Order: sequence, then structure tokens, then C-alpha cells
Amino acid sequence: MKPALTAAAVLCIGIGSPALAQDRDAVLRTYADIAAAAYGDSLTTAERLQAAVDALIDAPSPEAFQTARAAWLAARGPYQQTEVFRFGNPIVDDWEGKVNAWPLDEGLIDYVDGSYGGATDENEYAVLNVVANPEFSLSGERIDAKEITPALLRGTLHEADGVESNVATGYHAIEFLLWGQDLNGHADGAGQRPWTDYAAGGACTGGNCDRRGAYLQAATDLLVSDLGWMAAQWAEGGAARAAVLENADAGLSAILTGMGSLSYGEQAGERMRLGLMLNDPEEEHDCFSDNTHNSHYYDGLGIQNVYLGEYVGIDGRVVSGPSVSDLVAATDPALDAEMRDRLAATMTALSRIKIAAEAGFSYDQMLERGNAEGEALVMAGVNGLIDQTKSIERVVSALSLDGIAFEGSDSLDDPEAVFQ
Amino acid sequence: MRIPVPLTALVLLSLAGRAGAETQMVTNVVNDYIIPGYEALSAATEGLKEAAAEDCTVTSEPLLAAYHGAFDAWIAVSHLRFGPSEEDNRAFALAFWPDSRGATPQTLSRLIADQDPGAVSAEEIGEVSIAARGFYGLEFLLYDPALSVAGDPAYHCALVQTLAADIDANADAILGGWQDGYSDLMINPGPDSPYQSNEETVRELYRALSTGLEFDADARLGRPLGTFERPRPTRAEAWRSGRSLRNVLVSLASLRQMAELMADGDEELEADLDAVFARSLALTDPADDPVFAGVATPSGRLRVEVFQQSISRIRDTVSGTLGPALGVDAGFNSLDGD
Repeated sequence: MKPALTAAAVLCIGIGSPALAQDRDAVLRTYADIAAAAYGDSLTTAERLQAAVDALIDAPSPEAFQTARAAWLAARGPYQQTEVFRFGNPIVDDWEGKVNAWPLDEGLIDYVDGSYGGATDENEYAVLNVVANPEFSLSGERIDAKEITPALLRGTLHEADGVESNVATGYHAIEFLLWGQDLNGHADGAGQRPWTDYAAGGACTGGNCDRRGAYLQAATDLLVSDLGWMAAQWAEGGAARAAVLENADAGLSAILTGMGSLSYGEQAGERMRLGLMLNDPEEEHDCFSDNTHNSHYYDGLGIQNVYLGEYVGIDGRVVSGPSVSDLVAATDPALDAEMRDRLAATMTALSRIKIAAEAGFSYDQMLERGNAEGEALVMAGVNGLIDQTKSIERVVSALSLDGIAFEGSDSLDDPEAVFQ
Repeated sequence: MRIPVPLTALVLLSLAGRAGAETQMVTNVVNDYIIPGYEALSAATEGLKEAAAEDCTVTSEPLLAAYHGAFDAWIAVSHLRFGPSEEDNRAFALAFWPDSRGATPQTLSRLIADQDPGAVSAEEIGEVSIAARGFYGLEFLLYDPALSVAGDPAYHCALVQTLAADIDANADAILGGWQDGYSDLMINPGPDSPYQSNEETVRELYRALSTGLEFDADARLGRPLGTFERPRPTRAEAWRSGRSLRNVLVSLASLRQMAELMADGDEELEADLDAVFARSLALTDPADDPVFAGVATPSGRLRVEVFQQSISRIRDTVSGTLGPALGVDAGFNSLDGD
């Protein structure tokens, strides 16, 4: 045993030396490469969605409608893996509300069921229904909405009256236009919007099919242009990449801030635990399409991706390189093992939700009051995310990034401040 | 505000010598602040349960007095979101707010219309949506013009009594969790504790303090403030029961006590903290604008904004002075995210 111990000790000295600055830079480059690939894939899949939507509007049919829905579902996988880039990078966080805002008062956009209710204390425009109303008044102003354009959606309707749930653009607005409300309550099944909501002439259901089609096209066009912009920010020469690479400690801090904030406050709290505690089938991230299990799964995978420095693209190519995991292993191998284990445990828990949902036990059923199996599945995911957040905090300490998470983002917010 | 790296290293080295002192600080906060706070909550919610059992009518003076007493006791510990309060979602079941989608009135209306048997059953109330339960659910039943008189009176009465008893059961369970082990886990970090080191227990306390201040400034004051063009008085916390300002004052008084215990005898730090808390608490009189209705007028709005800024000064002192003295930052909290 003794020689082995000595060898191990020598090895420890070898890898125990402080990670060099160039190691940290290489880790940041991997991170930016993953972001570029994942936003690039998000753009590609959104362009496919755009083509499918154009085909649907050109020649409405059940098949074209189904193709558009499938394209939306396919687009969610890569996009959800980018959510880990949000909270650490102001350039992403400031932009994100345009593409993935949720939850939404969908009555702003189109017809809703009577059980949805009317205007609320929080939102006077919860049932504005732009599709049905070519003209309306908003915050005391007369709005001409005869033409439904990207500019109308972005400039006038999105967050109308300063209310965040007035979501006029992004994935979830498009999702609502493709699926409609999920009126199944806690029972299995997604929204049942008929394809004829896009049909021409007398076949049109739900009224104003041409305006609905124009809305869907405008929202999809905006999604494509927004994703194109963000993919460019992470490409070589892009602003988001430059911000991350500018200062090694601040960049690492951005990575870990994104991992921790998404794990804890956002996913474990707002998106998973809250829905369970409210027993509310509308507290589902992808509630219209019943795709929430995938939304959670790919969020979790995105967190694991950036720690391990690996991303699998939509065409199967693997982007990988020096990782945060390598840095931690060089400083504290036991902590790296703990972090990997906990990320893996979360992915197991999120996989179980996905497996059960795909087998027919849908996420809204899991949220039902008194559904012990569903609660156990969801809470296992929540607990995994909470546990991994503790390890992320330990990683922040191990890499001596304490305090930087809150102050060092100067370099991202204000590049000049670093040199003052 | 960035500290150059060599200085950070020095600070970390100097902290090693403080480990014993920090253990004592954690012990003091647990024994002199957290446990007494939960004891007070448990006693007050017992009073609420008994008052509701005695007389469930929504105009009952003893019931309303007991409600306010228990709500005060809750606000004083409401930022301690770890350990027994997180277990079984107890804190969420006591306090679901903000409720940006109106889930509390919607859920209560549905329960009352359906005469849902689970919501008036001591055994099943734990399964009911948190939106209908706790202090904010009870507030609608006692104070909302529609929900206070909604439905069958006998069902309404049973619902008030069940919610009051559920509040008490959760408060007792949290106190029990602290008494039956969580205090020891916090005071003695290590392999058998959720906290591996002193640093992690100190961070937990520090996070609670800073999250409490953030919530007071951003949610309790920030929500009604809205924007200058669009103030939102009906987004104030617990305005139906007239508690919006009172909750901030109770919270600040409690956070002040916690912060001063965490300063752990450092006189300069104690004086700094005392000054910023005192300045904030002196700015406002509970009779001034109890529900922040004034945010709709320029002068009323200015007053709330000044109050909010005074809490920002407290946060600056906590993050700029107390945090570095303890060698921790706040890590991640539940307010991260959207």
C-alpha cells in the first residue's frame, strides 16, 4: 500500500498546483463555444419552424399544422439548453424576455375559454384578443392593429401596460397559437386547437384565421431574428463572447452564477416546486403543448453541459473542451466528484419525469392534488437541483470566486470599470 | 468595489483565526434569535387557532387581533427560509405571496363554491394548494369584501378554522424541527450536517438576512411602487388587512436584531448597522400610509421611494461591511431568476 500512497501523493502535487490563467481562459472558450453551438442550433431549428409555419399559412392542412407543431417541439431542445447562459450574462438576460417569457395571459393574443376569466387586478388586458380586434385601446391610447406585424408585437403588445404576463412574442406565444389552451385540467392531453383555426374562407374556425396566421408568422419571424442576433453575440468576435473572455474570474463567476440561479431560484423554485404546491396545471412551463417534461430535462442538461464542457448538437457533433470540472478537479478532486454526482443525480430525476410523461403520465397529472407518485417524481427533481446548488456554492469558494459573483460582474456590465 | 485578488487572499487567511468566534456567533443567532422567534410564532398561532375555534365570524375582534399577532410573529421569521421551514413546504404553506396571477382568490372561490371537503379536513388540508392556505389565504377569508361573505356560512366558518389550525400545525412543526435537531446541525457543521463547514452555516444566516432585506425593498415596497407612470397600489402586500407598511416595519426590526447579533461584538460594525437601520425605521410612521395607497400621488410616491432607498443603504452596509467581515457572500437565493 505504501508505494501506491506515495504515488498518489506525487500525483496530487502534480495536479494540485493552482490552475493557471490560460487554463481558465480555455475553460471560458469552451463555455462560449457551447453557447455559440446551442444558440446556433436554436436558430437552425427556429428556421425550420419558420418554414413549416410559412407552409401552413400558404396551404393550411392537418398535415402542415402537425408539421409546424413538430418543428416547435424540436426547436425547444436546443433552446432550453441555452437557459444556463441567462443569469450570468446580462446580454442574455436582458434579451431573454423577448423569446421565452412565461407565464403568459394568453387571452391577450387570441380567443380563450370562458373559464379563463376576464381582466384581472394585475392585468387589464388579459383578454384583449388582438387576433379578433383590429383596433383597440391600450393604456389610454388608440391602437391600429389592422396589420399584424413584428413591429406591432414587439413595440406595442409585448409587456403591454407594463405587465410581464402580456407576452406577445417568443416560444410560448407561438406555442399557444399552435396548440391553444390546454383545457384538460389535470387529465392527460395538450391543447386541442384545430388546424381549421388557420383554414381559409368558410372552413375557418375560431374566427379571423387570416389574422391568426399573420400573428403566427410575425411571431415566428421575430423568434428567428432574435435567435440570429444572439447566436452572433457568441460567435467569434461577438459581444457576449468578448464579455466572458475579458476577465477570467468574472467569466468563471458568470458560468457558476448561471448554473446556480437557474438550478435554484428559477427551475427548482419558480418552475417546479411552485406548480406542485399550487396543484395548478397552468403552472407548467410548456403548458399548451404538454412539453414541460422536456423543458425541465433540457434545462438540467444545459447546466450539466457547461460544468462538464460538453454539448451534443442537433446534428450529433460534439462540442467539448477544458471545463470547469477540470479546474475544480485540479483544486479539490472530492468536490469535483460531488458536483458531477449531483448533476448526474438531477439528470436521473429529470429523466424519470420525462420517461413517465412520454409513457402517458403527463406533467399536469403529476401536479394534481394528492397525486403522491407525481409529487415524488417532481420533488426528486427539485431536491436534486437544490442539492447541486449547494455544491455550486462550494465550487465558487474552491475557485476563490467569492464576492465576484456580486461585484465582479462589473466587467460584464461596464467593461471600463475593471480598469479603474 | 472589486477587491484585488491578493487582498482577498489576505482576508481569507485572517478569517481562519475567527472560526471559534463564528461558531459562537452562529450559536447566539440560533439560541437568541431563531428559536425565540419560532417560539413566539408557535404561541401566537396557537392563539389564532383557539380564537378561530371560539368564534369564526369575520368581525370577531379576538379573532382579528389574534390574526394580526400571529402575522406579526410570522413576518419576524419569514426570511429564515432554510431547514425546518423548507421541509414539507411549511413556509410556502404559511405564506404564498406575491400572487401575481391571483391564485389565492381563485382557489378559495373554487373551494368554497365546491364545498371542497378536503379544505375543511385537518387531515387533508396539507394536500390543498398553498395559494388557499396560510396568512394570505386567511386574509381573503377575513377581509376581502367578496370572499369574507362567500358561500355557505357553516362551510366558511369551518374553512377559517381549518386554515387557522393548519397555520398553527406548520408553525409547531417548524419549531419542533429546530428543537429536535436542526439547531445542533447548524451549530455543529460537518459530515453529518447539511453544512460542511462554519463558512456554510455563516453563509446560510447571511443569505437569510440579505434576502430578507431584498424582499422588503423589491417586493414589499417595489411591487406597489410599480413605475412612475403606472403605480400599482393593489399589488401591495396584505393591503386588505391594512398590513402593508406594518409588515415592512416588523421585518426590518427583526432583521436589525439578526444583523446586530451577526456583527458579533464588532463595535464599529454594530454602530454602522445600527445607524442605517435606525435611519430607515425613523423615516416612517405606521399611521402615515399603512397600505401604500399614496404611491399614486407624487408626494406619497416620493415617501415610499425614500423609504426604499433607505433599505438599499442597509443592504449596502450589509454587503459591503458585514459580509466581508464574515468572509461570505450570499450565494444563491430563491429570488434569483425571473
